[in-house]
Amino acid sequence: MAEIIAALDEKGANKLLATAIAIIGPKTKSGSGTLGPFVANYSITGTLTSGNVDLIPPNTIRIVDLRLDWSLSLSFGFDLSTILPDIHIPQVCIDIPCVGEVCTPEISIDWPTITIPVSFSDFLKTTADFQLAISLSGGKWKVEAVILAIPNLQFGATTVALLAAIGAAATIVLLPIPFIGPFLALAVDAILAVIAIGGVTGFLGPIITPFISGLRIPIYEQPQQFEVLPATSAVDPKVDIVLDLVAAEIQHNGLEDELVLTADISP
Amino acid sequence: MSLTEAEAVFASIHETALNDLLTAFFTDRPRYLVYGSPSFVPVTTVAETTMPAIAFPGVPGGIQWRIRLGIPSIDLFKQTMQLPPELSLDPGEFGVGLDVELCLDCHRLRIDPRPPREKPNERKEEKRPKDERHPLQEVTCCRLKVFAVGHLERVMTVTGEDAIVFAVDAVEIVDIKPDRLEAVLECLLFMILQAVFAEVRLPLRALRAGAFQLIPVVGPLIEDDRIKMRGNL
Repeated sequence: MAEIIAALDEKGANKLLATAIAIIGPKTKSGSGTLGPFVANYSITGTLTSGNVDLIPPNTIRIVDLRLDWSLSLSFGFDLSTILPDIHIPQVCIDIPCVGEVCTPEISIDWPTITIPVSFSDFLKTTADFQLAISLSGGKWKVEAVILAIPNLQFGATTVALLAAIGAAATIVLLPIPFIGPFLALAVDAILAVIAIGGVTGFLGPIITPFISGLRIPIYEQPQQFEVLPATSAVDPKVDIVLDLVAAEIQHNGLEDELVLTADISP
Repeated sequence: MSLTEAEAVFASIHETALNDLLTAFFTDRPRYLVYGSPSFVPVTTVAETTMPAIAFPGVPGGIQWRIRLGIPSIDLFKQTMQLPPELSLDPGEFGVGLDVELCLDCHRLRIDPRPPREKPNERKEEKRPKDERHPLQEVTCCRLKVFAVGHLERVMTVTGEDAIVFAVDAVEIVDIKPDRLEAVLECLLFMILQAVFAEVRLPLRALRAGAFQLIPVVGPLIEDDRIKMRGNL
């Protein structure tokens, strides 16, 4: 039997993981992606909240209803040239007697790219399985719950809402453009309808998945040279022990599943 | 039966690891094992603790002494260490065995003559032959094997951490005659061991190697050769 044993029941594990996940805090990433003809630069912030923990022997921690609150700031570059033909009127010169050659100016209209900002926030819930990973690295023992596989993220109504938000933001930007504004707004709405839910899911998936796919939840972290007592005076130096071995597993004991951490020490 | 039983968190340490903790404590702070008056220990250092000499009229500088303890070995109930028949290990108790060395700096005293001699330089000859006389100065020591039993108490460390100490309840020295001399020495060591162990405050955090948080509701208990605690996160 191990020299030191510490154990948590599912209630304790719920509390521990809720705290550990809360400590991870909000994470932000940014990049760019394409949504149909649009190129979007994005910045997204995600915050995780633990759900219900189910301890499954010998080595699985399942979190049901793991929640990710995310807030997305999009900046769409909408190139008007994709729906309006560029206008190019070449120079025309006429030779007028007594006046000489008269030329009209060359006219080129290259439609600009209009930036459409969109902010959108939502959350999703998923069920994820984690495995206990134990490591000794850089003089520290760590036990982490590492996500086993990328869960299937269901966006559901989010996609419809995001499409609507993009359409509304585009309308606000495009409508004031003289003459062609209403036409452009209608054109964008038509494009969004073509992109549809599948397109938005394909856009959101790669952006949001990394918040969960690389998840490592810290459960235990202590230096191998473990301080029992700090130094309190010149004649009372600190007292250390060595954590020779740390292990962790899920055990079924009696009627309960428990997260059990063990350690062997030496002076 | 689950480890946590009705609580959310459980922690326990086996007596082997507990002895490793004590060894670490006394190795890093050996002064808690060695106490002596100034002729033995002039100043307190990491290695030794200085104490006053025992004042006694006519003994210049007092009686010089030193006590040196070995690193104690703890046995948590159930009993595996052999104890003297006078001691028994009951549920919830610990037994401990250790070596103790007691030393005195023994001096022959020069008696101040009264009334003063007529010839101050004249010394009175001692009648006892030289080889029978006590030396002028001699460090006299004895080594004892001491056993004790006790229980745990919850205390705070000097830095305010929740901790345990070993409270000594009874001490036994084997094979000293006459019995009353044994009783006197046991009384002396009972007081000394109580005081020494009261300084060895082991944080609950160390007893669970820093794993999880634990606000004790049940324990610390001694059972199955382990100290066990159960509580909330």
